[in-house]
Amino acid sequence: MTGIIIISLIAIVILFLGLYKLDKAIVPLAVAALLAAITSYALAWNTNIYYFNNMLFVDNFAILFSILTIATTILILLLSPGYFEKISSNVAEYVALILFSLVGVLCMVSYNNFSMLFIGIEIMSISMYIMAGIRKKDLASNEAALKYFLMGSFATGFLLFGIALVYGFTGSFNLETISTLVMESGGQAAALFVAGILFMIVGMSFKVSAAPFHFWAPDVYDGAPSLVTSYMSSVVKTASFAAFIRMFIVAFAGVIHIFTPTLWALAAITIIVGNVIALYQDTFKRMLAYSSISHAGYMLIAILALGPDSGNAIFYYAVAYSIASVSAFAILIKVKALKNSESFDAFNGLAKNNPKSALALTISMCSLAGIPLTAGFFGKFFIFTIAINQGFYWLVGLAILNAVVAFWYYFRVIIAMYMKSPSSDEKIEYGFSYKLVLWIAAIATLLFGLLPGILSGLL
Amino acid sequence: MLQLIALVPLLPLIGFLINGIGNKSLSKSLVGIIGSGTMLLSFIISLGIFFELKNSEVSAHTFTFFDWINVGNFNLSFSFLVDPLSSLMLLVVTGVGFLIHVYSIGYMKHDEGFAKFFAYLNLFVFFMLLLVLGANYAIMFIGWEGVGLCSYLLIGFWYKNTSYNNAAKKAFVMNRIGDLGFLIALFLIFKTFGSISFNEVFTSAAKFTSGDPTLTTIAILLFIGAMGKSAQLPLYTWLPDAMAGPTPVSALIHAATMVTAGIYMIARSSIIYALAPIAMDIVATIGMITAVWAALIALTQTDIKKVLAYSTVSQLGYMFVALGVGSFTGAVFHLMTHAFFKALLFLGAGSVIHAMSGEQDMRSMGGLKKKLPITFITILIGTLAISGVPPFAGFFSKDEILAATYNHSMPMFIVMSITSVLTAFYMFRMLFLTFYGNFRGTNDQASHLHESPKSMTIPLIVLAVFSTIAGFVGLPEVFSEHHALKSFLSPSFVFTNGRFSFEAASHVVEYSIMGVSLVVVALVYIYAQKRFAKDVYLLPVDESKMTLMQRLSYRKFYIDEFYENLITKPLDKLSTFFYRVIDKSGIDGVVNGLGKITMNGSKNLRTIQTGNTGFYIFSMVVGIIIIMLLNFILS
Amino acid sequence: MESNFLPSDYFPIVLQLLAAIGFVGLTMLATHLVGPKRKTKDKLETFECGIEQQGDARAPISIKYFLVAILFVLFDVEVIFMYPWAVNFREMGMQGLMEMFVFIGLLLAGFVYIIKKGALDWE
Repeated sequence: MTGIIIISLIAIVILFLGLYKLDKAIVPLAVAALLAAITSYALAWNTNIYYFNNMLFVDNFAILFSILTIATTILILLLSPGYFEKISSNVAEYVALILFSLVGVLCMVSYNNFSMLFIGIEIMSISMYIMAGIRKKDLASNEAALKYFLMGSFATGFLLFGIALVYGFTGSFNLETISTLVMESGGQAAALFVAGILFMIVGMSFKVSAAPFHFWAPDVYDGAPSLVTSYMSSVVKTASFAAFIRMFIVAFAGVIHIFTPTLWALAAITIIVGNVIALYQDTFKRMLAYSSISHAGYMLIAILALGPDSGNAIFYYAVAYSIASVSAFAILIKVKALKNSESFDAFNGLAKNNPKSALALTISMCSLAGIPLTAGFFGKFFIFTIAINQGFYWLVGLAILNAVVAFWYYFRVIIAMYMKSPSSDEKIEYGFSYKLVLWIAAIATLLFGLLPGILSGLL
Repeated sequence: MLQLIALVPLLPLIGFLINGIGNKSLSKSLVGIIGSGTMLLSFIISLGIFFELKNSEVSAHTFTFFDWINVGNFNLSFSFLVDPLSSLMLLVVTGVGFLIHVYSIGYMKHDEGFAKFFAYLNLFVFFMLLLVLGANYAIMFIGWEGVGLCSYLLIGFWYKNTSYNNAAKKAFVMNRIGDLGFLIALFLIFKTFGSISFNEVFTSAAKFTSGDPTLTTIAILLFIGAMGKSAQLPLYTWLPDAMAGPTPVSALIHAATMVTAGIYMIARSSIIYALAPIAMDIVATIGMITAVWAALIALTQTDIKKVLAYSTVSQLGYMFVALGVGSFTGAVFHLMTHAFFKALLFLGAGSVIHAMSGEQDMRSMGGLKKKLPITFITILIGTLAISGVPPFAGFFSKDEILAATYNHSMPMFIVMSITSVLTAFYMFRMLFLTFYGNFRGTNDQASHLHESPKSMTIPLIVLAVFSTIAGFVGLPEVFSEHHALKSFLSPSFVFTNGRFSFEAASHVVEYSIMGVSLVVVALVYIYAQKRFAKDVYLLPVDESKMTLMQRLSYRKFYIDEFYENLITKPLDKLSTFFYRVIDKSGIDGVVNGLGKITMNGSKNLRTIQTGNTGFYIFSMVVGIIIIMLLNFILS
Repeated sequence: MESNFLPSDYFPIVLQLLAAIGFVGLTMLATHLVGPKRKTKDKLETFECGIEQQGDARAPISIKYFLVAILFVLFDVEVIFMYPWAVNFREMGMQGLMEMFVFIGLLLAGFVYIIKKGALDWE
């Protein structure tokens, strides 16, 4: 809770820093504030306190996801020096918007009341609508912002409608009250209640870009500036999943069996669509966009196979995916700056001139593909394990098959880096904070790939 | 000290990281100091742990650092087991490792990959320590694979030479065959006992009846793993080829430590073997055949390192015999003494090769005694130790193994005794060919002859001292009331103690064995001196003039050719057949077809992404309608 | 709170929906039926207010109009929060006062930001 206040206040301070042309202080201050926020969350471990008349409940689940999203934001902010300056002079506003969006994220991961979920989603989304369009002169960026906004509001409408129907049935927004009612009803649910939950699933599926509500994702990810995309594909996605599964763990656990076919189909379609379309992409960035859709599919499996380990599995997956994704986008930004292209060919021979970046990208690709010794492997491993324990053999089979397909497009970039010859001898120059992020990402990926026990037993 | 256990493997890892990351920027002397310094610290801590353990009441400590994998009923913690067996291994690994690191500073001084070499060496020690310290089979397996990887990297250290690379690959493949056995054993252990932690597995295994088929299978599978790593028939051929690596590597990995991992694993799993008599017999038989087989090959080798390599295979055979007859202490004892004298011999050989500017063929050596006095004396001590001359270390450990086989079966005892005569013979042959007679190399080499630098000779001297006195930890009953090593190790074999009892050989037998070995060695010495000190080789240079026996030995019983013709070539043919016929038309067709379908699907599916927002919203609505239908109409 | 809700419990919502639609339909119908019909040229203008219309409604308007309008709405709406606070001023006491100070403080910070940023400068 202190974390939310710190971040909100510092975001306002940063707006003023921008006014007084203190641009140099913006990122350090933001990072310091985020570190303070992480500390405040870490100190709240095991305390389980309710805030705002039970609107927020900071339990361990909320703390873990808060720390994960804040830490990912720190990594992204560390990449930002020199990036936003090229877009316009409104750097302070960009950083402040990211922080505001993070405040929304923090509400989403610790909500205990559907109105808080809605407010959180809106705070997060509205900031992101703006961030997607910060390249005012760039058509793709404008298109991304407008599409994101239009479709986002459309989907939010469904979410809100769903919340209203659930309220109509239960008379409450409070998750625990709803859960009690659901338990009392003994697994039976009225049609309107079911419809309400279905609409909420639709709304959340949009946010996590699950097929067939994924259409916005490739266009928006592709059009938005890469750094913003990395934020959307890591922090926003993590938060949406946390909110999605929290809804089921706390409120609807008693009736999840009714939605099994729906979630099953969503997961299967998402995995197939994400992986299969990713095969045929020409640009690395669009490939990452589709791969992010496929990852949403894998994470949906954990919600489908809801059990005591689901939260943990999603958390582990989100950690692995966020880290790998930030590192991939970081290198994409540099390659784009150097070659002015986001296609796979731009990566040709990267290993010759920049062996360390090539290695970092290889590690991140291996993690996304789920190769052993990287965090991504255990992410998939935990999710598949709980799914198999609940008997979803077919879905896991399908997911593994698709994971194999995924090797093809993840390795495409590795092959380009190591097997093809570079078009020029230019080297990528990295600043200190940039290097730091790449190192942290690579080490964390390997560490969590070697020692999954560090994180796997927390929830 | 015991609390510092984590530091023992951690220090070499730190050394690896520093030398690995800074390999271009650090100076050679700094690299050497980091590499050896971390080893020295590890050794000091190991020493402290050893003595603390020796004086403490509790003999086994398990240190759990964190839960490693925790999924459902599968609990795996990252923990170390410190007991007499592992603490003794710690001493051997860090102690001999430290000396070899110091030696390498001098030996590798002119190599451009100096820092890389030390980084690999440190990494190797790290994995070896994991292997030794692990409190469950999983950590042991990680160490097992890790040392294999480092061995692969170090054999192919001079990667520009293709044949060296091939040697590295051969080692890798041979080890994989063994590892497969280990891995299957691991799964089988988990399935049988529901755990892979040593404590739980051994406690429940002790309740099985002797001869249980599952235990026998596990034991045999584990032994297959050991055969690969510890170079036993038929998987031994990689070890002689592995001599392609730098000599310190041969000393550390292929003599003192890694190759003994198989012995350690079986000693660790002693209870499983104790309850599987058939597996025990297999272990003893294969060990015996390997021992005599490799000794015969060593008789005629002309490459100084190859002689030592085959001798290592042969000595490992000894250790397996000891394990197979149930003398686990004997095996560990010989493992320890062998680590000292074989490391000494390899390092001495390295010193000779260093002086000879890289020449390894003994036919070009001779008369080096005067030029390399320290090397000569230390190698002489090593030779006496391996030949089993009392009171050098090798005598006591070999004596214990022989005594155990004497109790077990007479034919085995005779074969092993003959092997020990052969050992003395080929070792003295090496000694005389190298150090006596006249120099047979080129003038150029003669002018370069020099004693090695201090960083190389001091490790030699230290090892020579240990090769002389290490045997006293396990004095037989004739000299001492109790067997110090046996009583120290006994907590590690708590489940097997008493299952195998060896009557102490009577004093007469002890003295006669001692006397006989002295006489035999003396005879061999005289014969070898007559034969080799006067520049006469045991075998003609021209292969056609060799006798059948000589040729068989020189050609290493044609085992490589045998594998080539019996396995590699048919496999190649078979794989060509599969490739041409089945793969190309059958599997490839299916795979390519599937690939094509997927790619086409991708191409077509991609067109859904039109970019038109109206269409997107339309498809979302369709999606919602389908979901509603699915839930309300169909159900 | 009751745990078993029936679809019929949503009946008031349906009723209100019908009332809303009905009201629109009814008034439109009523004006057509009741209102006098004088079809002169001026009466058929889109905006019948006495002033002649000028040009096309789709003419681009300066973004500043929107900016000022949006900001006006923003600050206007925020006053709404002060009504319930004012009504409950005594009950909420000192804590309520502090909370309102924080609220007004944030509002003022926003206002200062807008002015400094030049969002209200017309030129």
